[in-house]
Amino acid sequence: MRRMVDAVALGMKRSVPMAIAMAIGSLMLVDFFFDERHINALGSFFVESAVIVVAFALLLGLLNVLIVHARKIARREEGWLYSIFLVIIALVVLVGGIPGPESSAVTWIFDNVQFPLQAATFSLLAFYVARAAYRGFRLRSLESLAFIAAVIVVLLGQVPVGSYLSEFVPAAKEWILDVPSTAGVRGIIIGVALGTIATGVRVLMGIDRPYGGEGGSSQ
Amino acid sequence: METITSILNNLGMGEQQALMFALLLPFFPLLLIFNRRIRERGKPVLRSIPGYEALREYVGQATESGRSLHVSMGTGGIGTAVTVESLAGLTILEHIAAQAAASGLKPIVTVSDPSLLPVAQDVLRNAYAACGRLDEYDPTSVRFISSNKVAYAAGVTDILDHGEVAGNIMVGNFSDEFLLMSEVAARREIGQVAGTTAPQILPFVYASVDHSLIGEEIFAAGAYLLKRTSHIASLATQDWLRTAVIITIIVGVLARSLA
Repeated sequence: MRRMVDAVALGMKRSVPMAIAMAIGSLMLVDFFFDERHINALGSFFVESAVIVVAFALLLGLLNVLIVHARKIARREEGWLYSIFLVIIALVVLVGGIPGPESSAVTWIFDNVQFPLQAATFSLLAFYVARAAYRGFRLRSLESLAFIAAVIVVLLGQVPVGSYLSEFVPAAKEWILDVPSTAGVRGIIIGVALGTIATGVRVLMGIDRPYGGEGGSSQ
Repeated sequence: METITSILNNLGMGEQQALMFALLLPFFPLLLIFNRRIRERGKPVLRSIPGYEALREYVGQATESGRSLHVSMGTGGIGTAVTVESLAGLTILEHIAAQAAASGLKPIVTVSDPSLLPVAQDVLRNAYAACGRLDEYDPTSVRFISSNKVAYAAGVTDILDHGEVAGNIMVGNFSDEFLLMSEVAARREIGQVAGTTAPQILPFVYASVDHSLIGEEIFAAGAYLLKRTSHIASLATQDWLRTAVIITIIVGVLARSLA
């Protein structure tokens, strides 16, 4: 009897989330394709509900950050002093944000700490691009030969020295960007669109179950 | 043509929506047909994708060396415009989680969108539960870094730079911050497999990682790594529809040119 109850409970754990996901997914699809007042209203309701759920997920995220760093501090792992700093700053921002996200304390922290740090980190990108380009320039295969050739022509075509060398260079650059590059990008986009639809259909048909639960995931 | 347009307008459907609807509808029956055919005739041989072969190799190397494997599912989340890319990352995580639960590998999973946190934890937990080793499951293996892309990249950089990481797997939605992470891994000579669908990021991926998954290849993880019949059927459906799209484009070009 107990086994039967367990089997039914497990079945419910699998089928109830699947049924909910399939029903709401289908409804959202109908909402996207058709202009029907009631369905559109229901669709908007679910989208708003998802925003609220994600807001709760952010709390889980904060909790996760605090647990990970508290553990790091407790175990004196490498960089544990930074973890103390992180926890303190997280709590300061949290307390500072109690009056509201537009509070002067939070705005000051964002303007004077976060934005400059972000800009500094992002400015590293220029050097990283140069490094990646250098690595990409290594001749490894026929594919990389085409990559290098295209890069050289496009680079030369972008600067005045290209047209000084030959009128052919800027024209070749235009051709590379307009024909093979655009064709490649469109090919990738079409493939991605089909892959996106396939993934959506699998979720909608209950084949993929990212919402998991016991025995979840997918088949 | 005018009749079709008026019918669509009455249904409240625009031209683009109608095109998408026309592309979506055949998916359902084709997927079922291919699923059944594969079950009856057996799984076909799939062309080799070096990225997936390398991924298996990195999982093995990390297990043998006792070091961890960093897995990123990008900066997207569930319920966003790039949900499917996050789902592709989750499928890869599913494979790594199964290997981790069976072999004792310790993956470090990082997420940028908090909506992915419980889902990724669930994938890991299920893998350990399936192996009967739920007591070894550590929920902090999945770490939320930050919903800010640059801050996320900085956090991942720290893990790659100071953690005992044997491999770096990044599949999902990325933008420019991708290079901040992949370059650090490349500098430390950590084996990398990465994939995304954004055409403007793909040159970064190609130039900075050892094995790249380009565009739709990221959606093939279920077929290649998990060998699922439904995912192989899905690939076959995509191939058929891609052929149909190509034929439509050629016919359209010819018709327009000859008109």
